[in-house]
Amino acid sequence: MSALLSDPLLHATHCHALRVRSGHSPDPAGRPGLWIEDVSVPARDPLAERRRAIELARPSRDPRRVLLRYADGLSDLIVVAPRGRWDRTALDRLAAGESVAPNDAPPATGTSPAAPAPAWGLGDDGPAAPHVVALDHAGDEESWLTALAVTLRRYDPDTQPVIGTDHGSFTVEPAATLGESKPSSAAGPTLTGLLFDAAALPGEGEGETEYRPCLAPPFPLTVSVLRDSGGLRLRCDHLSGHFSAEIAARFVRHLVHVHQQVLHRPQTPPDDVELLDEAERARTAALGRPPRALTTKPVSVPGALARIVAATPDRIAVTDGGTDLTYRELDERAARSAHGLRARGVGTGDRVGVCLERSAELVVTLLAVLKAGATYVPVDPAHPADRLAHTARDAGLGVVITRLPEFPAVADCVQVTPDELKDEPRGGWPAPAENTSPPTPSPDGAAYVIYTSGSTGRPKGVVVPHRNVIALVDATRDEYGLSEADVWTWFHSSAFDFSVWEIWGCLLTGGRLVVVPYFVSREPDHFRDLLVAEKVTVLSQTPSAFAQLLDVDHTDVSARLVVFGGEPLDTRMLLPWFDRHPERSCRVVNMFGITETTVHVTEQTLTRKLALAATRSVGRALPGWHLYVVDPAGRLLPPGVAGEICVGGAGVALGYLGQEELTGRRFVPDPFTGGTMYRSGDLGRLRPDGRLDHLGRIDSQVKIRGFRVELDEIRSVLLEDPDVRTAAVLVRRDGPAGAATARIDAYVTLSAGGNPAGVRERAAGILPEYMLPATVTALDALPLTANGKLDAAKLPAPAVLRPPRRDTAPAAPAADDLTVSLTEIWSDVLGVPVDPDDDFFELGGNSLFAVRIGAALRARGLPSLRLRELYRHPTVRETVASLRAGQDPSM
Amino acid sequence: MRLHGKSVLITGAARGLGRAAAVACAAEGADLTLLDICADLPGVPYPLGTVGQLEHTAALCRDAGAAVLTAAADIRDTRGMREAVTRAEDRFGRIDVAVNNAGIAAPSGKPVHEIEEDEWSLMIDVDLSGAWRLIREVGGAMSARRAGSIVNVASTAGLVGYRHFAGYVAAKHAVVGLTKAAALDFAPTKVRVNAVCPGSVRDDAWAEGRMLAEIARALEVPVHEHEKTFVEAQPMNALIEPEDVAAAIVFLASDESRQITGSVLTVDGGFSIR
Repeated sequence: MSALLSDPLLHATHCHALRVRSGHSPDPAGRPGLWIEDVSVPARDPLAERRRAIELARPSRDPRRVLLRYADGLSDLIVVAPRGRWDRTALDRLAAGESVAPNDAPPATGTSPAAPAPAWGLGDDGPAAPHVVALDHAGDEESWLTALAVTLRRYDPDTQPVIGTDHGSFTVEPAATLGESKPSSAAGPTLTGLLFDAAALPGEGEGETEYRPCLAPPFPLTVSVLRDSGGLRLRCDHLSGHFSAEIAARFVRHLVHVHQQVLHRPQTPPDDVELLDEAERARTAALGRPPRALTTKPVSVPGALARIVAATPDRIAVTDGGTDLTYRELDERAARSAHGLRARGVGTGDRVGVCLERSAELVVTLLAVLKAGATYVPVDPAHPADRLAHTARDAGLGVVITRLPEFPAVADCVQVTPDELKDEPRGGWPAPAENTSPPTPSPDGAAYVIYTSGSTGRPKGVVVPHRNVIALVDATRDEYGLSEADVWTWFHSSAFDFSVWEIWGCLLTGGRLVVVPYFVSREPDHFRDLLVAEKVTVLSQTPSAFAQLLDVDHTDVSARLVVFGGEPLDTRMLLPWFDRHPERSCRVVNMFGITETTVHVTEQTLTRKLALAATRSVGRALPGWHLYVVDPAGRLLPPGVAGEICVGGAGVALGYLGQEELTGRRFVPDPFTGGTMYRSGDLGRLRPDGRLDHLGRIDSQVKIRGFRVELDEIRSVLLEDPDVRTAAVLVRRDGPAGAATARIDAYVTLSAGGNPAGVRERAAGILPEYMLPATVTALDALPLTANGKLDAAKLPAPAVLRPPRRDTAPAAPAADDLTVSLTEIWSDVLGVPVDPDDDFFELGGNSLFAVRIGAALRARGLPSLRLRELYRHPTVRETVASLRAGQDPSM
Repeated sequence: MRLHGKSVLITGAARGLGRAAAVACAAEGADLTLLDICADLPGVPYPLGTVGQLEHTAALCRDAGAAVLTAAADIRDTRGMREAVTRAEDRFGRIDVAVNNAGIAAPSGKPVHEIEEDEWSLMIDVDLSGAWRLIREVGGAMSARRAGSIVNVASTAGLVGYRHFAGYVAAKHAVVGLTKAAALDFAPTKVRVNAVCPGSVRDDAWAEGRMLAEIARALEVPVHEHEKTFVEAQPMNALIEPEDVAAAIVFLASDESRQITGSVLTVDGGFSIR
């Protein structure tokens, strides 16, 4: 049996190596234990380099010395030995030909387990070449541990950094200042490690030496501070499954910058440390800029449209059922209504409510408002009355154009129908303050105010100027070949800013806009028929709406461009589309966008390949737009690290109507351009290639029993199930204070043959217990809001997953009092009907529910139940039997 | 490079298939331990590999960029094999791949009932037991490391019979059996064992092989006639080149075949199809 068998952990991670170059081959005589290799090429030959690299990576249990003799008379002596038994000095002595006894002192501690790959690492299993940078100052082990801890906390604020070394693991608790930070022993999985040996060596500078502190990284990211003939250097070895080479290289740059602050500015509080130096900040900021520049002219929406009208007056602008409107007709009707508005006292900059069904008339009306120099405020007739009233009051609407008889009466707000606008006002209207000839709207003036229902508070009005809409069209026209040959759908409510893209994207490029009436938008087969009949080429959809279209036969749809917006897109759902519509016949683009930044921000063209990889990338910024990812203090975060997405550039809105304080908080100075940027509240990460991963809302992170849970992550896992077509995940609480009752419910639509229990079972194999949905409910379709987004309020109560009865369970005897009481208590606490043989945990039970069951038992004067008993007897029937037995000493 | 940094040990490396396999592994970035008996064997009616041939194989490998360790070792000699393996482990840290290539084709050429006791024993000792001995020496460390690939060079004689080659056919069939049994034993530790079954390989001047010549001599037919017979028997109507077999060995040695174990890969131009 080989001697190695007793030492299976002969790992490259435990060994270090030294290479010493000689000008001439030393006489190998009298050097026992020296392996000599003659290499038939000069030392600089790539083949010689490969030989050196292999010898420097080859571990050894005992010191191994290999002499590589090159054809040009040069030679390299390579010494390899385990670090723990022969230290750096011993390696030097071995290289000098001395025999050195091993240090047999046992290592200070065992090895810590490696931490799993962090999300920010973007590990890609690519090449893992080490990064080496020169250092000015060695510092000491403590200064590097501090720098590592500060850097790691910036990368991942939620994880205590545990840093491995050859003599135990350490952490550095945050102190008031960097100088006061002291490492202390720590346990737990290590993501990074430090090998510090920067002692000045005797004979330094005499010849060429190369020191390898490890032959493979002992920790997923191993930072070594070393000194050899190359000088004082930092070397970083990484596991490519944990980190991409790019991320590792950036981490090293940030670490070195932080370390300089540890050494030279010890009075700095850790929170004030800068991760990025000036150059790195500029590089990172540049990453969020698009590769193409925007060419746009300052012009208003009516001004831009006038050119189309002049160029193609007789082309169809709008198709609404059997009615077609040419560009000239559109222009003339809008001009007439604009006159009607001016005649009714509407002046430049006034806000005019528009509450009409999707129709040609609505397009005319929106254009009329703009032509009148006013700002349109779209209101969806399907919205509840209190929302309509809120918008009318909040926007200070003097006029609302509507056909809705039940539009709520609001003080100082007059309702008028589109028909009435065609005529001169009768009595009761204020005299026009100015003349009624149409003004020329300023490109900087507000074109529309669209209300968004944020996750908190009442809907707020976002004020968007003309020039933003023009920029959006100019940013996309050439890339997507938008032209008068295109036929667009208008699918979305005018109160949803996706419609801004549909209406003005179409009309300002001379296309034909096909109105999709509300009832058609909700019936996928009718919608499909419309797409086919009108030969629609540009289809804009929310992913939720598109999922419904995918349920019907869409083979004959002839769209050449599909644009997604409004919601996160799960790219895997696109596969059935690509089956029928290959990339070369239809381009599919996902655009991440925000109302506050004018519909779209980024663009990602999707392919079958990306869909198969379930990419979360939303691509790079549109020309004219740019983005940053920042930490809670507003500092730029490096690529890979998740933070808040900020958007600057041509799309940034003017602010929230009448909410200066909120506007001031969300629309902040752009530190790089001097303009304004919008803090989105969305979570994202920049990839090193400048593409953005959208990771959901920052506030979609919820806490379940103390664990931070990302609902989008659960949704992604569900969507990976081949049986799941679409999914929604939400948290339910019985009461606002009921943290214990917080429970995750999932809703899915399934492909044929799928079942909810199977979906949950599969998810249980991937998600930690606290992230596993308590229920999975199958629906025919997910309910949508008027905007085509998921309507969480319309989701039904969750279905209870009943596990199949165990065959071995005895036939249920007549229920006794205790069983009845317990069943009631379980039912109350768990919020679902309970059968005596149901498993507590399968019904969504957890330790906090168990505590509540215990309290309820006590309240009823019943014997108390310990948690561990519940784990042992997880059904009512077994619990009753256990309580009855009574002798159990643990009770 | 498909074998970058791997340490490969090959027996019977002085010439023929062993040399071809060694050079192919070197070209794919492997470092090599090359073993050969480097001596003639009483009872084998033809000269075996020499020290000069083994060093020539080593030189070819070094030219391809490999670090090479050579040793004279007889696969019938347990102690000698153990020393060679230990030396290889000291030099290269471990053995990732072991290629059981050493073997003899003769004494052969007579009906089964006429084979002498010592002729039979010699054939089994070299062609079968030799393979087992190397597996025994390297298998423990490979199992402990939970990695490794063993490639046994069998023959189409391990799949079908040949007249007047009972000892050789029996030994090569047994090597196939040994491959399957060892593959099962090592499967839990991810060590793989596979066999390559070459058909008739040309006696290439470059590789200095002489298998075909010796078989022809055992059958008492001229080499060119024997070659012709085999060219006709192999459906692709060509002899196998040493590089063809070496390529199969490289594949089984590399991580490309990481889910392949206990398999028998024929390189015989279709000979064993029918």
